[in-house]
Order: sequence, then C-alpha cells, then structure tokens
Amino acid sequence: MLTTVVSPDVRSPGSIDDAVRQLTDLGADAMPLAGGTWIMRAGLRGETPRRCYVSLDRIAELRRYSVGDVVELGAQLTHRDLTSITTGPAATALRQAAALSAFPQVRNVATLAGNIAATGFAAADLVPALLAGQAEVELAGPEGPHRTTLASYLTSRDQRPSGELITAVRLPAPPGRFSAFERLTVRVGGEYAVANVAVSVDVDAGGSVHDARIAVGAVEPVATLGPARALIGHPVGDDDAAQAAGEAVAAGLTPREDPDAPGWYRVAVVPTLVRRAVAQLPQLIDH
Amino acid sequence: MSYSFTLNGQTVEATTPGLTPLLTVLRDQHGLQGAKLGCGEGRCGSCTVLVDDQPVAACLFPVANVAGRAVRTVEGLAAPGAPLTPVQDALLDHGGVQCGACIPGVVMTLTALLESEPAVDAATAKEALTGNICRCTGYVKIVEAAVAASGRGDQA
Ligand SMILES: Cc1cc2nc3c(=O)[nH]c(=O)nc-3n(C[C@H](O)[C@H](O)[C@H](O)COP(=O)(O)OP(=O)(O)OC[C@H]3O[C@@H](n4cnc5c(N)ncnc54)[C@H](O)[C@@H]3O)c2cc1C
Ligand code: FES
Ligand code: FES
Repeated sequence: MLTTVVSPDVRSPGSIDDAVRQLTDLGADAMPLAGGTWIMRAGLRGETPRRCYVSLDRIAELRRYSVGDVVELGAQLTHRDLTSITTGPAATALRQAAALSAFPQVRNVATLAGNIAATGFAAADLVPALLAGQAEVELAGPEGPHRTTLASYLTSRDQRPSGELITAVRLPAPPGRFSAFERLTVRVGGEYAVANVAVSVDVDAGGSVHDARIAVGAVEPVATLGPARALIGHPVGDDDAAQAAGEAVAAGLTPREDPDAPGWYRVAVVPTLVRRAVAQLPQLIDH
Repeated sequence: MSYSFTLNGQTVEATTPGLTPLLTVLRDQHGLQGAKLGCGEGRCGSCTVLVDDQPVAACLFPVANVAGRAVRTVEGLAAPGAPLTPVQDALLDHGGVQCGACIPGVVMTLTALLESEPAVDAATAKEALTGNICRCTGYVKIVEAAVAASGRGDQA
C-alpha cells in the first residue's frame, strides 16, 4: 500500500509572489510542497493531509545561490546541491550534514527549506549545521519580505502565519570561521541520527578559538544551541576543551523518548560527537 | 490536473491528482512494472527511477513535481530483444541477480552513477547503493558488477 492519500490538489505557481498569494488565499487549508519527502509520508505519521499543496518546484529563483562573506542559499536547493556548491570552511558542517543525511534517492530531492520547516522532524541534519553557523532565514509573506534568525524560526515553526514561505537561507562565512558536523546512527548510513552535532568556531591568527557555537539535533524535539564557552581561549581542536564543552552541552539537554532510542542514550553520545567534530577542525585549517 | 513530462524519451501526459506518487503513475497508468513498491516510504530503493538523470524514490515523488522533466525507468534502457546495457550485462555476468525484486532499482542507481562518474571503484559503488536494499545477494556481486561495468574490473 502506498501510504499517502492522493486526493489533495497541487498548484505550481511560477513566482514567489504567486506562491505567497495562493498560500495566503488558501490559509490553513494549504502548505508549501518542496521535494515532498516529508509531506508524502504524512499518512505514515498519522497526519491528515492538507486540502491543497503549493509546489515550489517551478520557481527558478528559489534555486539561486551565491557565495562570499555570506553564503546565500535558495530554499529549493537539494541536499545534493548543498554538497557541491557550498565551499569554504564556514560551510563544512553544512556540506557534511547534507552528504551524510538519508540516501542518494532522498538527497537528490529533499530541499534545504523542507529540512528546516518540517514540523515535528527532530533529527533534521542540516538544521544543527545551520544553527551553529548563525544562519538566518529569509521569508516572503503577505507583509512582504523579512528576515529572522534560524533559532527563532525553529521555535515558532509550528505556528508560522499562512502565506509565509522561506525563500533563502543566509550563512555567514567570515574569514577565520571553521565548522564540522558529526552524527551517530545505529547502522552506518541512511537513517535518522540518534544525535547530530555541529561545531562552528572563530579562530584568531594564533590558532586560538575566540568565539564558538555548538548545536545539537535529534535529542530534543527541536535542535538547539548549547553552551560552547569551554572551547573559547583554547587552541582549535583541543580535546580536553571539547570534552568539557560536550559535557556542558549534554547537561543542558532534555531528551525526547521514542522507540528509536531512549532519551538517556541520545544525551550520552553527545560529548563524544562534540569531541569528534572538534577533532576535525585542525585539519580544515591546515587545508 | 494534467502533468506533461517525458517518459523514456516520449512525451506523456498524466491526468491525476498532483500528490499521486510517480510510482503509481508509472505502474498503473503506463504499465511499467519494473520499478517496484517495496516499503513505500523512501527506505528500500526498489522504486528507484531517474528524474533528470538523478535517482529518486518514485514512491515519494509527487507527480506534480515531474512536470517538464525527463523520467527514465528500467524499461527504457534496452528495447525488447536489443542488447542489454553494460550495467545489466555485468549484473548477470557476476551473478548479481537472485530474486530480482531490487534489481530494476539497482540498475537505475548504477546507470546514473556510471553516467556521472567515469571510473567507479567499489567504495563509490557502495556509497551510491546505500539507498538500495537487496535481501538476497549480500551486495558483493552487485558491487563487483558495478566496478566491472565501468571498465575497472581490477578493483572489484
Ligand atoms: C527514508 C528517508 C530518510 C531520511 N533521512 C533523513 C536524514 O537522515 N536526515 C535528514 O535531515 N533528512 C532525512 N530525510 C529527509 C527529510 O524528509 C527531508 O530532510 C526534509 O525534511 C524534507 O524536505 P522536502 O524538500 O522533501 O520537504 P517537503 O516534504 O516538501 O516539505 C516538508 C515541510 O517543509 C515545508 N516547506 C517546504 N519548503 C518550504 C518553504 N520554502 N517555506 C516554508 N515551508 C516549506 C512543507 O510545507 C512541509 O511542512 C529522510 C527522508 C526519507 C524519505
Ligand atoms: S518503495 Fe520506494 S523506497 Fe521503498
Ligand atoms: S536480488 Fe532479491 S532482493 Fe536483490
């Protein structure tokens, strides 16, 4: 049995303005459709499908990107796109997260914005990479375009106003910023993470960390930033500092319980994932 | 709604609700039964087809998003009676086919891989196949076949 209900209508507008207009008119009856890898499984999760979906597939501007001191990534870029277009050490975590998520058949289809906006998806891999990188989301809506931090979008993602659309994600890439991503799955690939971790650091000329962020996904219902102070003032890659930071981050987590993994286990693996991510950083600097 | 796309090189029209999985359209409207419904949730790869030359899980691909694109299925690789493709030949030669349920998906994944990578080694083939589950062969023969088909039989 295919698990989706096939009756909903799909509209395919050709511009952001038309998509916003259609989503606004339809209100709570509709939602955006990106790659569909989350929406097409709504039935499996016991969710009632919307009456209408507004596909973003024909909106070419949502696939644009640019690189520079800020990497600007269109909402409709796929995980596969992200593995190739995002260059530079500030985006390493994002590249790694995109490459490690799911399988080729899903990575070729699932989008950047779909990963961020999938309500109830705790294990999204791109999200911690973007959070640690201080990403912002650009939104279009009935009130016009605006911008907000990813962190604030995530905590409100199940109550966003109708008519709103993520159009792009902005990832700052200042000189001296390095990042890395790690995740643990029960088998090797193609599964949701037990926990996923991204570390992003700003390093001074002497190789010492002067600012740092650690984000953790899959443990709590929504990925969060944890305390990364323990990394600051230490040489990049310092293992003791990483262990201390990992423990501090783990101590602040309230894990969810679900059949895939007990909550205590999700928390217990976090310090090791932080250490592994931090251990990657010096190699990036040497490059 | 009606969606126009090319299917194995021919323009076709699917008149069906836009959220219908591409797999349903291929099997029920076009009689193409190569791609199989296994898990129906993107995990097994038995429904793998190519959309614009990239492998996708047809069980999760809404037909609305196929409009204007090119879909290729295992049936489009070799006409009946015509020679098989190097990937298909290699799978047979290496004993990579047992019950065959996974094979149309495996063939499409490897077809895309060989089209995009000039030389495939075992590690690349395994990575490409992470979304294709085979319950029979243990994968070794399939990986050997992939390497052989790309002309690098020495690395199997
Ligand atoms: C078997 C399987 C395994 C997977 N494993 C992983 C994994 O390990 N890690 C991982 O990160 N992902 C994984 N995923 C993929 C997951 O489904 C996607 O990462 C993602 O959440 C969905 O992207 P999509 O483009 O398919 O979104 P869709 O299904 O189209 O949409 C998802 C949600 O986002 C909303 N949305 C989409 N675009 C926008 C926009 N521009 N603005 C506002 N809202 C929008 C939709 O309305 C919907 O609510 C897996 C998927 C499958 C099928
Ligand atoms: S049937 Fe599509 S991935 Fe299993
Ligand atoms: S040959 Fe039987 S599942 Fe692969």
